[in-house]
Amino acid sequence: MLRSRGANAASASGWLRWLNFILLASCAYATLFPFINIIAVSLSSSRAINAAEVFMWPVEFNMEAYKNLLRDGQLIVAMKNTIIITVVGTALNMLFTIMASYPLSKSRLKGRNAMLMGILFTMLFSGGIIPSFLVVNSLGLVDSYWSLWLPGLMSAYNMFVMKSFLEGLPEELEESAAIDGAGDALILWKIILPLAKPVLAALTLFYAVGWWNSYMNVLIYIRSTDKLSLMVKLYQMIDLISPEMLRAGEGVTQTLITPEGIRAAAIVIAIVPILCVYPFLQKHFIKGVLLGSVKG
Amino acid sequence: MPNAGQLNAGTKEMQIKRSRSFRKELSRNRFLYGMLVPVIAYLLLFKYGPMFGEIIAFKNYRLADGIWGSAWVGIDNFVKLFSSTDFYAVLRNTLVLNVYHLVFAFPAPIILALLLNEVRVEWYKRTLQNLLYIPHFISWVALGSIVIALLSPSTGFLNYVLELFGLEPIYFLADTFWWPVSFIASGIWKEAGFGTILYLAAMASIDPTLYEAAKIDGARKARQIWHVTLPGIRSTIAILLILQVGKMMDVGFEQVFVLRNNAVSSVSEVISTYVYTRGIVNLQYSYTTALGLFQSIIALILVIAVNRIIKAMGERGLW
Repeated sequence: MLRSRGANAASASGWLRWLNFILLASCAYATLFPFINIIAVSLSSSRAINAAEVFMWPVEFNMEAYKNLLRDGQLIVAMKNTIIITVVGTALNMLFTIMASYPLSKSRLKGRNAMLMGILFTMLFSGGIIPSFLVVNSLGLVDSYWSLWLPGLMSAYNMFVMKSFLEGLPEELEESAAIDGAGDALILWKIILPLAKPVLAALTLFYAVGWWNSYMNVLIYIRSTDKLSLMVKLYQMIDLISPEMLRAGEGVTQTLITPEGIRAAAIVIAIVPILCVYPFLQKHFIKGVLLGSVKG
Repeated sequence: MPNAGQLNAGTKEMQIKRSRSFRKELSRNRFLYGMLVPVIAYLLLFKYGPMFGEIIAFKNYRLADGIWGSAWVGIDNFVKLFSSTDFYAVLRNTLVLNVYHLVFAFPAPIILALLLNEVRVEWYKRTLQNLLYIPHFISWVALGSIVIALLSPSTGFLNYVLELFGLEPIYFLADTFWWPVSFIASGIWKEAGFGTILYLAAMASIDPTLYEAAKIDGARKARQIWHVTLPGIRSTIAILLILQVGKMMDVGFEQVFVLRNNAVSSVSEVISTYVYTRGIVNLQYSYTTALGLFQSIIALILVIAVNRIIKAMGERGLW
């Protein structure tokens, strides 16, 4: 197969290949340029920003915008909140996804089909924003992080991805372990989960990115300003920059700081953690997407 | 292959299993059922609970009275909904943005995947893919903020470029023509790259001998793409297209919420943002639940219809 592909490539005309090469490079550049530009803006002087001079490299380099954000501290608090939301939320998600998918991957289980239909239906028809809010509100969870974690304990889609992966594992593995006297819990922990590592990694990533970026649910359920997540805080900062945030540090002239610069720095702070873990995770998510497409 | 004796033993065992009482089944699989208990509790409370809560669409819901205590009002909320001009505006905006998405954003990952598929230098292809996937993982709040900064009439880079060419700055996000354009373009930016994954997987599974045969018949690159690659991914395109049609009633809340502003509310207010503003902010619970219920039911009908179509086409359905 590899050889015939090579032969195929050799016959493709040269200039077409170069055109494709350049076209794709432009696409990648267009995708990345906004990020590069915003990083450059966050490190530039207010004069350069206001003159729209910043392109891909900081003009009149300075870190005042970042120093301001650190001094103000609100974004740091929001980031801590988001880390808590993400870590606990993802752990609960994985727990519930495993607890649902492992039993449901066993065709011998009675009531399995009814339960699968019950979960599938939640993907097709949802109670909507307002009734969900009223349920969470009646439980007294509003303004607590449980209002985010509990309604989002499990994604039905991810549960189906995990279930179809587990169904693909050979049954003999479990049977021989059972003959050796291993209990169900031990089999799950020692045999099934280690084999499911690739799908566990992919789902952990999907859940964690979802929590890191969580926005709408925080907007609806969290009221105290000191509990807001990074993305909601960021949105508020895009909307308005408080005058005290524009205060310059000791010995720095006022002209170095501008709302655009602070916004850019806030955006960079919000996306850098994802960009940092991205190289380690990108190999897993493709697997996750393809697993999902097998049985969607 | 199991022999006949084993098969017989298998059926016997199954019969015995079936005849066991439910209690025995429970105790034998107590670990499995035990794991499902919290899951069932979760589904009932947070998934089916809100579905039941939709009955407030037929009530005049007041927080003090609760879901049970509030007075029934029949279809009053729906009458009010269908006679309001807001309803038709948000419905139209939702559908229009979805149609734009189908026409302009849906083909983007297909084109991108076709281009990527022709790259034979493995490291270059992988690097491109990894770069193109990045925006998918960034939230709409961050991406939207970048879009707002880039398109700003005073300090945005795009208007700076326009000025270089001697053009007037464009208020991209405050103009009812340019807002949908910016909306769709930013959607392509976020998802086109990531959307290539399924198409590339479908292309990788095309039999290479088909390309050989096409070449022997004298087909050039463009014809090979037209006659081999595209037919090879046809079923993937069909399923994703139909799924997209199934989502016609829904425009992502966050993207709209971040990019919208008062100047363009006539084109940017969609069902989800309207429900949020009227329901959560203005506390019109029953009225907005009626709208949400209308949306959910249409969406459900669309998905069921879509599944029928997929199955009728001979593809494996969604369920």
